Amino acid sequence: MTNTPIEIEGQPMKTLAYFLLFLVLAFGVILLAVVLGDRGAWYFAWLIGTPLIVLVSAAGAAWLDTQEEAAAKGAAHKAP
Amino acid sequence: MVNGTVVDLSRVQFAATALYHFLFVPLTLGLSFLLAAMETVYVTTGKPIYREMAQFWGKLFMINFALGVATGLTMEFEFGTNWSFYSGFVGDIFGAPLAIEGLMAFFLESTFVGLMMFGWGRLSRGQHLAVTWLVALGSNLSALWILVGNSFMQDPRGAVFNPTMMRMQLRSFPDLLFSPDAQSKFVHTSIAGYVTAAVFVAGVSAFYMLRRRHLELAKRSFRMAALFGVMATIGVITLGDALGFVAARVQPTKLAAMEAVWKTEQAPMPFNLIAFPDQKERVNHAAVQIPDLLSLLVTHSLTGTVPGIDALEKRAERKIRNGIPAVEALETLSQDPGDAAARAQFDAHAKDVGYGFLAQRYAANLAQASPQEIRRAADDTIPAVAAIFWAFRSMVGLGLLMLAYFVMAVLFTLRNVVQDRPRFLQAAVWMIPIPFLANECGWLVAELGRQPWTVFGILPTWMSVSDHSVGYMVFSLAGFLLLYTAFIIVEMVLMIRAIRSGPEPAHGGPVVHVAGAQEPHLGG
Amino acid sequence: MELFAGLQVTWWLLLGVLLIGLGVMVGMDMGVGTILRYVGHSDVERRVALNAIGPHWEGNQVWFILGGGALFAAFPLIYATAFSGFYVVMMLLLWTMIVRPLGFEYRSKIASPRWRNVWDWSLFVSGAVPMVIFGAAVGNLFRGVPYSFAWDLASVYTGSFLGLLNPFAVVTGLLALALSMMMGAVMLLNKTEGMLYQRAHKMAGWASLAAIVIFAAEGVWVGRIDGYRLVKAPAPGILQTPLMQMVTRAAGAWRDNFSAHPSLYLVPALGFLGMAGVYLATRAHRNLLGWWCGALAWAGVIGTAGAALFPFLLPSSSDPSMSLTVWNASSSRLTLLWMLGFTVVFVPLILWYTSWAFWVMRGKVRAEEIAHDEHAY
Repeated sequence: MTNTPIEIEGQPMKTLAYFLLFLVLAFGVILLAVVLGDRGAWYFAWLIGTPLIVLVSAAGAAWLDTQEEAAAKGAAHKAP
Repeated sequence: MVNGTVVDLSRVQFAATALYHFLFVPLTLGLSFLLAAMETVYVTTGKPIYREMAQFWGKLFMINFALGVATGLTMEFEFGTNWSFYSGFVGDIFGAPLAIEGLMAFFLESTFVGLMMFGWGRLSRGQHLAVTWLVALGSNLSALWILVGNSFMQDPRGAVFNPTMMRMQLRSFPDLLFSPDAQSKFVHTSIAGYVTAAVFVAGVSAFYMLRRRHLELAKRSFRMAALFGVMATIGVITLGDALGFVAARVQPTKLAAMEAVWKTEQAPMPFNLIAFPDQKERVNHAAVQIPDLLSLLVTHSLTGTVPGIDALEKRAERKIRNGIPAVEALETLSQDPGDAAARAQFDAHAKDVGYGFLAQRYAANLAQASPQEIRRAADDTIPAVAAIFWAFRSMVGLGLLMLAYFVMAVLFTLRNVVQDRPRFLQAAVWMIPIPFLANECGWLVAELGRQPWTVFGILPTWMSVSDHSVGYMVFSLAGFLLLYTAFIIVEMVLMIRAIRSGPEPAHGGPVVHVAGAQEPHLGG
Repeated sequence: MELFAGLQVTWWLLLGVLLIGLGVMVGMDMGVGTILRYVGHSDVERRVALNAIGPHWEGNQVWFILGGGALFAAFPLIYATAFSGFYVVMMLLLWTMIVRPLGFEYRSKIASPRWRNVWDWSLFVSGAVPMVIFGAAVGNLFRGVPYSFAWDLASVYTGSFLGLLNPFAVVTGLLALALSMMMGAVMLLNKTEGMLYQRAHKMAGWASLAAIVIFAAEGVWVGRIDGYRLVKAPAPGILQTPLMQMVTRAAGAWRDNFSAHPSLYLVPALGFLGMAGVYLATRAHRNLLGWWCGALAWAGVIGTAGAALFPFLLPSSSDPSMSLTVWNASSSRLTLLWMLGFTVVFVPLILWYTSWAFWVMRGKVRAEEIAHDEHAY
């Protein structure tokens, strides 16, 4: 339904534009990391730590889904 | 001369409105990232339960957010209305982070919070996820700039006093932004918000599990909150230690009050686990001490010492004597900015000019300040020891309690058995107020410990206030009391109603419910 | 030192831009609050009206917060002196403004008619009162405010609360109120249909006519009141305090800038053009055009005030020589420079994502949609 950056086959100009955009973003992130790591160690730690905390808790939820599925399968095996 | 009652009432009003504001802010800081986490799972797995979670917790988020925004307006006004001398004196530095907060953070947060709520049907999944992340980023950047401002009050860096303009002026913006106090305080406060949100989400989920309602939502929310919370709590404690390390260097009086250290002792110094500080007699009653621990905690070594209050007060007395000529020179300079002799006198004593201001409160004529007046001013440099000591211990104690709680929560939830531990679930519900209490204690330690200064070592609190009548202050205090009491009642009622009625059932498209049938019709 | 004077004027202009943003965006939302009970007779109609601005009012309100922050950062002495001097009025402004977020957020959470009625009244108060106070505050800049400075630049306010409610200030307050009701009505014309549209249409017509009349009357009036004139002061761009200048009062002095630069008359002309444009465009149901005309009207009105007052920001009526001006109330060069850097980066970004948010939420708000959306107001 939407045009995500992944569906850009066959549109070389658009691909190039996205490539440049992400390249600039990547350099921005590197620059930020260099400056922050140098001057603001705690700011840098926050910037790294927050996505980490979010991702770990997200992974925990995904794991719960597999645990539940496994438990449901186990129950289904036992039931008959 | 400024009226002492007005100073006290202004302080009470600011403290009360800030503490009240700070009831709502931490939950916003943390819950926004938890919402982002839930929605990230929704977008990556496509399971509708996570969308339901994001929407349900989003509803509670908004109830809290409205009061955070409303009470934040008060803070934006109050520097000008009640602390006008402060505002003129440091506006050159302090105003900048406040304005940048609006430009960089609050606009982002507020614009996207509208889309986060109203945009579910209009944005693609990826777009909506980005919006939620931007709300979280915006609210935390907001905290960043406010705390950069606050850290300037604790440890004024990047500024220099200009005697012609009678104010502090910016010297280096990076020094202001990257001050160690700003860094550790921002991270400490932001993550304390994560902890607050984690306890809140885990507690409400536990409430549902106890009643066997919305089990799928509650188990997943609890799992996410527990992991989020345990990592955040470890972070808060680490940063709390870093913050103490900073305070030891730049605010020795705050540190001495936090630990109730009256006299400097030989290293390694003992730690007061429990004590009842007596400010008048300068002793601790019924102290329970742990040997060597204070040096280890504060200086991270066995050879470091913590200067006691007696020594700090003697030092303040010397600084007051040195600062008085600077203030006298300033008075001359304001009549004649070109007076070279006055300028030289000021420059010679400039580093203690703030201590000279302190003496002004008691000595109408500074040139003839008596030793008693100077001693009274020096006595002022010691903040309220018992209050700070206990606020600090409460904060640390509650923090450790939350760590223990989250470790247990993680153990139970990772084995997916938490729903079968009713006593633990009951405890989880009772934990909900704990982080809020700890946050308030943290504010008290930071701001009571800063006294008697608004800008530490430079501008005394008593000078900073606006010159209002007692009547005006009683009027505004009464207004705040009335409004804020009504607000908290309404907020609690709505929050509890929203929690009791629970999430909407899972759905793919727009929510369909029968509220339309119950719509009341008001008379035209 | 050239750079410093340039920065001061730039920040004076930026403050004007922020005030225009405040008038247009916050004024529009407050206007909807003010006319809510008139345009919306049934609960459904009122909910449609609230949801028309529902996704945007939080973002719009930041124009106000940013205005306060920018004033603090760029002209700290104005922030300090005005906010403390206007204490009682500021508290009323604050208290009415902090009720507003709760009105939006909490009103439709409970279905009791009494509950919703109370919040509808609170939205009326928190829409009308702040706009009158904003206007009255600007009106008082023309009259001057009684304050002076001690040797250490501690400001002492010597007037009473009632002194701030002089006729000129109150009428300026009514102008702000009329403009905000006009913008609120135009916003509803863009976002609603049916009876709500009909009533908003009527309201937009009356409010724009009222604004034209009041603005014209004030233009005549301002020639008869005492203005302020900077007689002697250190040159612009030299770091100075309000204790270093001489200021006199003279009838009609607020016309000085216009006499010196007649092209400035274009600014009030644009204001009138905007207001008349709102009237004509809405009569023709060209509502988007009407909205932009309304924005032009705000720009013209605030620009006129700025053009008349310059370089004064806050004249002192009790001690005219201590009046605060662009030259003596600003922050230092370094602060203004850093702040300008942030502004240049972030204001275009803000305008970009704000327009995106309006684009995402484009189209009319319909009653059925609200009934089916648990997040709606």
